[in-house]
Amino acid sequence: MERRKFLKQVSLWSAGILVTPPVFDITREALAAFSATPDILVAKGRDYPAMTRQLVDGAGGISKFITKGDRVVIKPNIGWDRNLAQGANTHPLIVSTLASLALEAGASKVMVFDRTCNEERRCYQNSGIKPALDKIKDKRLKCSYIDDRKFIPITIKNGRALTEWPFYRDALEADCYINVPVAKHHSSSGLSMGLKNAMGVIGGWRGRLHNNLSAKIADLNLVIRPDLTLVDATRIIIKNGPSGGSLGDVKTLHTMIAGIDPIAVDAYTTTLFGLRPEDIGSTVEGFKRGLGQMNLGRCHIREFTI
Amino acid sequence: MGKKSWKQIRRVSQLLCLCIFLALFRLTDYTGADTIPYAVNIFFRMDPLVGACVTLAARTFISLLWPCLVIVALTMILGRFFCAWICPMGTIIDMTGHFIRPHQKYGSLSSFRFLKYAILTMVLISSLFTIQFLGFVDPFAILVRGMVFSFDPVFNFLVTGFFDRIYVSGPAWLSQFTEPGYDFFKIFILPYKQSFFYLSFLSFLLLLGIFILELFGRRFWCRNLCPLGALLALISRVSFLKRIPIKACKNCLLCEKDCPMGAFDTRGGFMPEECNLCMDCLAFCPNQITGFRFGLPGQPMPVDISRRQLVTAGFAGVCIPVLSQTSALSKTVNNDLIRPPGALEESDFLATCVRCGECMKVCITNGLQPLVFEKGLAGMFTPRLMPRLGYCEFNCTLCSQVCPTHAIERLSIKEKHAFKMGTASIDKNRCLPYAEQKSCIVCEEHCPVHDKAIKFEEVRIDIPGKGTRLLKKPRVFTEQCIGCGICENVCPVAGEAAIKVIGKASQKNNFGGSGY
Repeated sequence: MERRKFLKQVSLWSAGILVTPPVFDITREALAAFSATPDILVAKGRDYPAMTRQLVDGAGGISKFITKGDRVVIKPNIGWDRNLAQGANTHPLIVSTLASLALEAGASKVMVFDRTCNEERRCYQNSGIKPALDKIKDKRLKCSYIDDRKFIPITIKNGRALTEWPFYRDALEADCYINVPVAKHHSSSGLSMGLKNAMGVIGGWRGRLHNNLSAKIADLNLVIRPDLTLVDATRIIIKNGPSGGSLGDVKTLHTMIAGIDPIAVDAYTTTLFGLRPEDIGSTVEGFKRGLGQMNLGRCHIREFTI
Repeated sequence: MGKKSWKQIRRVSQLLCLCIFLALFRLTDYTGADTIPYAVNIFFRMDPLVGACVTLAARTFISLLWPCLVIVALTMILGRFFCAWICPMGTIIDMTGHFIRPHQKYGSLSSFRFLKYAILTMVLISSLFTIQFLGFVDPFAILVRGMVFSFDPVFNFLVTGFFDRIYVSGPAWLSQFTEPGYDFFKIFILPYKQSFFYLSFLSFLLLLGIFILELFGRRFWCRNLCPLGALLALISRVSFLKRIPIKACKNCLLCEKDCPMGAFDTRGGFMPEECNLCMDCLAFCPNQITGFRFGLPGQPMPVDISRRQLVTAGFAGVCIPVLSQTSALSKTVNNDLIRPPGALEESDFLATCVRCGECMKVCITNGLQPLVFEKGLAGMFTPRLMPRLGYCEFNCTLCSQVCPTHAIERLSIKEKHAFKMGTASIDKNRCLPYAEQKSCIVCEEHCPVHDKAIKFEEVRIDIPGKGTRLLKKPRVFTEQCIGCGICENVCPVAGEAAIKVIGKASQKNNFGGSGY
């Protein structure tokens, strides 16, 4: 089944014409696109905007991901009412640099959003992400709160632990989806990185996913397929995640990791915490579903220092 | 400036005050900063009745209420101008009166004027017994609560319902037109999100009742019932601004007949304390002889309440608080009663809180709800946190900022982080890891306190036929827990949460309580 057909179902369902929820069944075709020996790009330095640009260039340049007129989703983690130093949300400079890149590439619309855990206005504000994006005065850029009307129930045909869940329409319909999570400790799933960030574009009662969470996260990522994953590990929460709160739990690494393969990026990020990729359930489950390569020995790791 | 323009000036003042009132109402919300820069509670703070009752009940003057002294001073000079120039309730009554009672002239029904003094006596005396009944009769409390609990949610429900229906079910070309209109509403008029409140019906009816009373005469509420009006009337007896002539002219009687406040006694004598300086009589006097002059306070007429009525009201003012204090409800320990962060100790809180609804309006999670009958009439409309509806946001101190009487003491963010509202407690018969051996730990993830007030123990469990597996079981560390209730809010167990906050009020100190 093609992506176009799926999107047609999404819009028909939204218009109330289709009675059964859209069915997502495009895993096998998409898997062929993944390389067995993916690139992992790692940037180190203090100049986060420059590192962001360097990583995007290293991954093939923004024009590889965005063509003129595209609707772009940039999905940071804005989950918590925490400030920049506390490290629970993606660094605003990375998000705003990506937004600028997308606008420069001629995107018709750049949407930045997250379904937050704390009150959304406080999260958007205190993460620094909304203020940073408000400074980019461009009408195509929309940093908006989640609109509950836009959740659409999706049947995940190949889901193993999760077969149906509401997803956010803008995330499904994006021509280009850039995943910008922050790397941090997470008490249920071990670590919260790229795959876990998909929890921010789904509706429903998310607490109910926490039994067998890793497998469900992997199933969500069958539907949400980022074109590019860029992990913010400039500072990481090493315990008491995902909400953190204490600066004592935060370690500064000045590192960012990017790649097209979401599993490989998560696998590498795991090593920054002193863990192995196989320690993280969602990475293993994602690998099992063919979402990418978790064996770092097979990946090309390219490091940049700025 | 002609005499007739005074009426117009008064109307401009009324409209301006109403606009300020409505704007402040809308601004009683999170606006992107941790502090609200506007005095959104100003109408309560300049209400002398609030000042009087809270001072009597709390046995101290709360400095935040200083603006009410300004109103008292101005009333001593000008008279009861507040009612016709400032009071938003009066303005709304004036504006809606024409619709409620369209064709009849101002048939006066003023024989219940004593009632307002009786009500005033009742609330003042019950305040002496530290029970605050002000919230049932203060015009701003009735107005603000009516708006917070019913009008605003209903308004938002109707408008968003209209646009959502088009967006969800209508054709795409239509919502292209309606969505920009919706955005306009959302930015300038609607509240940020739909709120839900207990007591929405009662609050609605209380407010509606005031407007319906217009059927019995113009400004019926203000003339006959409003205790704030009564207090201002008493103060205005010494005021310097005098209306002339002091009697309706024998051959005309127009001002007696058409006075919106019915400020003339049965013999046509002018009652200065009933006059709210609306200036209408300046405009309609055919001979243009009415006017207002400054002069020394003259011989006041007796207050419009008989001794018998006064004694009865005083008696009621004693009975109501004593009855509620001797009700078993006042001794009943209520686990669910979680007061807002910064709330005074329970009895002080009940004495100081004016039931204005501001804290519940500003609460960004809609978790603060009015008490219904859990604490009897004495506790009705006071705020409590209901975590399953909305938890207390860790970094938010808005309710303590808008409280007009410091019943919720103003907290710094650091004090808030340490303020204990209650303690979470896990029901192991329902908690998933305990009851069903399922992994969950959502409560621990959300706990905002450092170092976590909910921690987990990892235990190895046997799964028949599948070997063993690690399971995280949550545990509450009561010392750290502040009772914000986010754990209760996010608990994935259906219905009542498997982790619940027990209010601080039920954990009495060693010297109180009724136990062994």
